[in-house]
Amino acid sequence: MVQNQKTPSQHNSTLFISPMINSRRQNLFVTPPNPAAQTLFDSPGSNRSSFFNLERGNVNDDTTSNSNIPPAAEPLTPAEKLRLWRHDALMQHQYKTAEFIGDKVLALTDDPNDAFWLAQVYFNSGNYLRAKSLLTSKPEFEKSVSCRYLAAYCLIKLELWDEALDLVGESNPFRKDDKYQVRSTDGGIKLEASICYLRGLIYANQNNFEKAKESYKEAILVDVKCYEAFTELISNNLMTPREEWDFITTLNYRDADDNDELIKLLYTSRLSKYLNVSKLYEAEHILTEEYDLGDNCDILLSKADYLYVQCNFDECLSICEQILRKDQYNFDIIPNYLSCLHELGGKNKLFLKAHQLAENHPTNPMTWLAIGTYYLSISKIAEARKFFSKATLLNPNFGQAWIGFAHTFAAEGEHEQAISAYAFAARLFPGTHLPNLFLGMQHLQMNNLNLSEEYLAASYQICNSDPLLLNELGVINFHKNNFAKAEMFFQEALGAAKYLNSDSKTWISIHANLGHVYRRGNQPNKALQCFNQVLKISNKNDSNILAAIGLINLKLGNYFKAIDVLHDALAISPSDPVASDLLRRALESNKNNGNSFIRSNGEKLLELNLPTLQYRQKQSRKDGSLQGQQTVVSAQNSKFMTPLTNKTRILRKGSGVLQPIEKDTDDTHEAFYIAHELKKGNESSDEDDEAIMDIESD
Amino acid sequence: MSSEKPDQVETLRRDLLKACNTLSNVNLFQAAKWCAEALNGLPEPKPETADLQPEMLILDEDALLDQNKYLLAKAYFNCKEFDRAAHILKNCKTGDALFLRLYSILISVDKRATEETDGSINIGSDVVDDMNNRLSKIIQESENYLTKSKPNSFLYYLNGVIYNKKKKYALAQSNLYNSLKLFPYNWSAWQELISSLITFEEAINFITKVKAAKSSLSSSIMFQFFEVVVLQEFYQQSSSLFDSLNHLITIFPSFTFLKVQQFLISYHSLDYFQAESTFDQILVDDPLRLDDLDTYSNMLYVMEKRSKLSFLAQFASMIDKFRPETCCIIANYHSMRSEHEKAIMYYKRALTLNKNCLSAWTLMGHEFVELKNSHAAIESYRRAVDTNPKDFRAWYGLGQAYEVLDMHLYALYYYQRATNLQPLDKRMWQALGNCYEKIDKLEEAVKSFEKALTINSAEPHICYRLALISEKLGDVKETYKYMKLCFEQELDWGVNDETSKARLWLARNSLESRRFEEAYELAKDLSHSNAHDIEEARSIAREARNRMSKN
Repeated sequence: MVQNQKTPSQHNSTLFISPMINSRRQNLFVTPPNPAAQTLFDSPGSNRSSFFNLERGNVNDDTTSNSNIPPAAEPLTPAEKLRLWRHDALMQHQYKTAEFIGDKVLALTDDPNDAFWLAQVYFNSGNYLRAKSLLTSKPEFEKSVSCRYLAAYCLIKLELWDEALDLVGESNPFRKDDKYQVRSTDGGIKLEASICYLRGLIYANQNNFEKAKESYKEAILVDVKCYEAFTELISNNLMTPREEWDFITTLNYRDADDNDELIKLLYTSRLSKYLNVSKLYEAEHILTEEYDLGDNCDILLSKADYLYVQCNFDECLSICEQILRKDQYNFDIIPNYLSCLHELGGKNKLFLKAHQLAENHPTNPMTWLAIGTYYLSISKIAEARKFFSKATLLNPNFGQAWIGFAHTFAAEGEHEQAISAYAFAARLFPGTHLPNLFLGMQHLQMNNLNLSEEYLAASYQICNSDPLLLNELGVINFHKNNFAKAEMFFQEALGAAKYLNSDSKTWISIHANLGHVYRRGNQPNKALQCFNQVLKISNKNDSNILAAIGLINLKLGNYFKAIDVLHDALAISPSDPVASDLLRRALESNKNNGNSFIRSNGEKLLELNLPTLQYRQKQSRKDGSLQGQQTVVSAQNSKFMTPLTNKTRILRKGSGVLQPIEKDTDDTHEAFYIAHELKKGNESSDEDDEAIMDIESD
Repeated sequence: MSSEKPDQVETLRRDLLKACNTLSNVNLFQAAKWCAEALNGLPEPKPETADLQPEMLILDEDALLDQNKYLLAKAYFNCKEFDRAAHILKNCKTGDALFLRLYSILISVDKRATEETDGSINIGSDVVDDMNNRLSKIIQESENYLTKSKPNSFLYYLNGVIYNKKKKYALAQSNLYNSLKLFPYNWSAWQELISSLITFEEAINFITKVKAAKSSLSSSIMFQFFEVVVLQEFYQQSSSLFDSLNHLITIFPSFTFLKVQQFLISYHSLDYFQAESTFDQILVDDPLRLDDLDTYSNMLYVMEKRSKLSFLAQFASMIDKFRPETCCIIANYHSMRSEHEKAIMYYKRALTLNKNCLSAWTLMGHEFVELKNSHAAIESYRRAVDTNPKDFRAWYGLGQAYEVLDMHLYALYYYQRATNLQPLDKRMWQALGNCYEKIDKLEEAVKSFEKALTINSAEPHICYRLALISEKLGDVKETYKYMKLCFEQELDWGVNDETSKARLWLARNSLESRRFEEAYELAKDLSHSNAHDIEEARSIAREARNRMSKN
């Protein structure tokens, strides 16, 4: 307690100046029994706070503020009583009372702390302007750190960023005074940290993300309890995964007292899931085992995030639903939930959730994100765009909504607009690789290989373990004809995908692309292996893959197989020009290959069927009624062998279809469709990417 | 016959009884039906051995734990609430419970796909995607279980079914083989196995492989059934086939299934009278049986037994109007009366009832051909080969339809497929030859027609075609050979267009090579042809006589 007086006020929290500061030694959080067992005042129970326990008023010191709370033995001063009254009214959200009494107390004492509390009342009732003008009305108020803090907050609420920045200063003024860490004594959040947080908030809104990041980091360094700053840092991905992990080790958890271990673990569980999976797992394990927090929403959320990054959407969805069952209105989980539903095609649930949100929280941007996602998943792009843009209007810093907004353009192939929207998201989320990845993908689609590679490289700097990113890098190298490098990237991507334990679309498109690389690299058997893998895993039959298999078989001379596969491809997408061209060629080759068919197949089959043939001949010789059998055969002909050939309509134009179009060199032709195909392959991978990104963005 | 035989029958009886119980316990109704039919196909038990107690299924610990839920799920399943059944079994541990769960999901997926595509023809890609997605999940779950826990025959079976659906035949075969090794009495699994064997070569290889492995499976009676059905389905006939079939019939004297196999074999070898009498006997023994009745009706159609087919249609629709078999029979009836639209409607109904109804797709294709709707025909045939790639008629039909559309390269490919399946059918080789001729591959055409000739006795029109092609190729010797051959067929086949034309050609040829007597002999008897030819023959005869008299 003695130290209190020495500590500069920025090391205190507002607990310090609250009227009850010294009365909460032991039993603060115990709600007092309603009719008092032991009365302090004349009228029992009537003037006692329902929130704070007064009987414990063991006040024995003067704090820096002059809130002289007398020792319990002494009766309270009138001002003191009014303060309690004001405070209780505030706690019970009876703002008129609080305002009325607070005003009177302030008038009586003219104390900055009383001004602070009155301003609190105004602030709580949403009257930021009034709070701010009160707090800046007198110079002595402005001197108080707490008053300054609240005034700055009011300005932030009023979106007067420059004024707010003036008030809190461009950098932390206290940093130079004391390098040493002072523990706040009261267990609250140091005002210094809070002010740093406000500074970060202001910078973030001024789009000065570098400074915002520094301010937030400073806030947490000053007081680890400033979770607000921490969550801003993490949820906006202001740091790269590695930075995050480095940062968390530099924090000073002493401020959290006995809870330091717990806080460390909890913070750890929030970190990026791209790195140090074992540590995450360990943290989660300890939290579950020792603190019995396994069912806590935040732990579950961390688990959901992890599953999400692994692309394990089913599990992730079930965790999300578990959280929502416990806490229907949990907003933190909603982005994950929406993404999973979008990914898994849960349109109906998306619809329901979007409606629930719209009913209960019409002003929350998350609501409009949900609605946008719903429209996106039923492919109503225009509507989706409208709602994503509404979400960004409500919160201009809502990165997910920006990405969704960009996706709507990308889905319609409007690359320029998509790029500008992604670029905006990239500024909002400097710490994630996703926006850069999207930008790279858009440029890739526009065939700006160099630009695309730059973006992808930037993305690779941030996160080098994302299979999607590696996949895109592979595609770029493929386009540049660097097959060795492309193969390397795809292999790496496969490694990453395997590590992430996913069997999703990502995995499939990587395999398919790897197959294309092998195909171009003249390793047909390896390529076939890859494509067959894809077909084995793939949920939908992809005509592009089938066409590629057809092409390889055609090259290898397996015409029958090629024709078969190409037919399958055309059955899936009847208008695929590549497949039909390949089919034409395959049939053409089959025609020229007729001799070998007759020789090899004919002989082999006859041999296989020899016993039957012999048997039949024996039989026919035996009964010798050849004639009878013949009539039956011709009768059968009438049904099963309708003699269509006789009625052939003479349509000469048809022959044009089958004629080889021109005799250009096979190579150039092939190059054409390989390019064509690859483009398609690429597109399909992009689509996959987008779907997944989408989720991440959400 | 042998002394051990009664003993063998008793073991078989016990095994089948047990298998029957096991199969009904996991709700594999068709397999259970087959098993029970086989059981009743055995000779009547002697009274002293009739005290066979049905063995109770022995439950292990997990099964006891799951038992209540399992029973509930089975009840739901029987009430056709498949999703509910699957939901109830969510946390059950035994393989059988997992099987029932996944099986319910499979059925529900299938049912939904059918409902959403309303009917047979159109399949939206969304639905297929969704279905494939869920099928993959089923496989994943069952494979997970199989790698972690002890093997379960039914789960392997389920994998096999799904891989078959996805056309991953090699995987299907290995799964089904595993399943059957564990539990050979599951006839549905054998059937899936048969449908996963696409070519005869593959089938033979599989059979020899299993035999070489010398497992208990290859000696089991079920394997004999399998072999017989495989040979039957690939249109094979050999004395060994008949031997094994007869052997089975001695063991199961009153098992309809075997009689149906007999019927099918006769049908495939075009021995329709034998086939008809076999099936009539089946109908006497088991009058209300609808299975395979559609094949019977096809045969009646081919035999043009109109009244019998009409009776059969009436009879079948009295038993059950809404069986795919019944619909096929009625469709055949309408087709016979040349009411092709009605026939198509009934085929469609059959396909709605069971979209894997094998023959309906092909037959519908034929009907479309009758209606000159080649594109619809192609679509039907395509679906037919999709569901059953062993159906040579559908491949042949595809070839024909494309030929009509003048797309000979396509036609060629389809004829090749058909020929692969039916190398012993000269019609296939003939069609192939036609096709090659159309695309100016004359040498291949010759070879194809020659193949056709080797299979059966020479037919005049094939010979004539061969002669014409040889003529085109400028090979006089070959032309002469085939013309001669064609002409010689007059003895066997009587006078017809081709022989007359050959005769005329030979006459002309003789005249040119100054063998006037021969020319005269040939030309003078030409009477069966068009006026122009007869005129020419007369002039040849006249000239030959003139020259002869001059000499």
